[in-house]
Amino acid sequence: MNQKIERVIVEDVSKKFQIGFKKNQSVLACLTSLVSGIEPRRSIQVLKGVSFKIREGEMVGIIGENGSGKSTLLRAIAGIYNFKGKIITRGKIISLIGLDIGMQSRLTMKDNIYFCCTLFGLSIKEVSQRFNSIVEFSELREFVNTKVYQFSSGMLQRLAFSIAIHCNPEILLLDEVFEVGDEKFREKSTKKIKGLVKRGVTVLLASHNLKLIEDHCDQVILMERGSLVKIGNPREIINIYLKKEFK
Amino acid sequence: MNRTKNLWRLSFALAKTQFKLKNEGSYLGIFWYLLNPLLMFILLLLIFSDRLGSQIHFYPLYLLLGIIMFNFFQQATTESTKAIMGSYSPIIKSINFPKESLIISTILKNIYSHIFEIILFVILSLILGAPLTGLIFYPLILIFFCVFIFGCCLIFSALTVYFVDLDNIWNFLVRVIWFATPIFYDIGGQTKLFYLNLFNPVYYYITITRDLVIYTKIPELWLVIGAATYSLLFLVLGLLIFNRLKNKFAELI
Repeated sequence: MNQKIERVIVEDVSKKFQIGFKKNQSVLACLTSLVSGIEPRRSIQVLKGVSFKIREGEMVGIIGENGSGKSTLLRAIAGIYNFKGKIITRGKIISLIGLDIGMQSRLTMKDNIYFCCTLFGLSIKEVSQRFNSIVEFSELREFVNTKVYQFSSGMLQRLAFSIAIHCNPEILLLDEVFEVGDEKFREKSTKKIKGLVKRGVTVLLASHNLKLIEDHCDQVILMERGSLVKIGNPREIINIYLKKEFK
Repeated sequence: MNRTKNLWRLSFALAKTQFKLKNEGSYLGIFWYLLNPLLMFILLLLIFSDRLGSQIHFYPLYLLLGIIMFNFFQQATTESTKAIMGSYSPIIKSINFPKESLIISTILKNIYSHIFEIILFVILSLILGAPLTGLIFYPLILIFFCVFIFGCCLIFSALTVYFVDLDNIWNFLVRVIWFATPIFYDIGGQTKLFYLNLFNPVYYYITITRDLVIYTKIPELWLVIGAATYSLLFLVLGLLIFNRLKNKFAELI
């Protein structure tokens, strides 16, 4: 029997953010605080003992209200935030969080494709090989030499998504990526994601679009105030979420 | 090995991007980079060549080399204060990539413009009939100088995330260091200034370069040891501070 490997293992992960503390202090403020005393720091727990495992070829949705810790969890898995606990990832991670993949507004679409793919670890040769495919998928061929500050948010979404899926992801982290853009491209993108999942890519999708989650995810994680409430079948978890049974 | 390769590939891509963005819509391109040191050189030469420069052999070369080396140091360190907090800060919040590449790219971009300044120096040397053989040692000095600047940039870029006004403070301090460094004058018998410059790393690199490149003489051993020590010291300090603080960048920007 072919045993699927566990691509993401999250064990008792907790994360605190400091609040109240002015995060970017000036040197002068630090010197005056030596006399006046340091402002007391408060902290807020954004993740509390979160644990779960995801195998290869699984698509897992993350739902929860604003501030429940969805994005923080994805950032912790991507290695952007440090945390308490343990996260083991097996495979190349591509994170598409808030559509920001480093696009430079004053550069052309072509330059941005090369730049962003390099940021995701591709060589120039690899980008050249995938260039046409990225442009075709984004359906933005006629804007290849246009600077991206002239793009609409929908066009930026198409480009960002197209770049991300062409960078050999083994673990794809998506946060609110389908909130802009038209229905046709959303369908095309979800179809592409399903294709990637079939080939063994693990996808974590944080979204408020419950229909999208229900239709396409194998499992759903429900988050509430930094804690994992429940993980399981999409319909069951969405029902719990909608009826607010976890409150 | 793969990580190092990726770091360099990304650093070059970032440097290329920064360069494109800086030259956006500019028809004169690299000329703008040369304009600042060139104007400074002409101005200082006009003012000081008959006074401070009369005792210095090949004073125009002495002056130009001092200006372009300090300019390299000043540009790279000043830009590094905005490396993490600047236009790339949204990427730090959404993608996990080696942050050191932001610093290396700043240095690579400045090396590129520095090469054009060196070409300017070669042209002036040819005009003045100065020997050019010493130039073969310059790449070696440049490596040590870059290591020192890299260390400084790591420190400034990381600390600016915690202290937002550090870039303003550094802009002021770097001017003070400019006047304290013998760029347009010679230390000569000024003992106080000489002892002060023992704590100024830039003094070592500029003096060694002048000795080797302009006067084709072997620099004194204490200068070489000093330059190597400062390079190593700042590299270690920079890596220690940057690695200690970089995990918090995404939270603080």
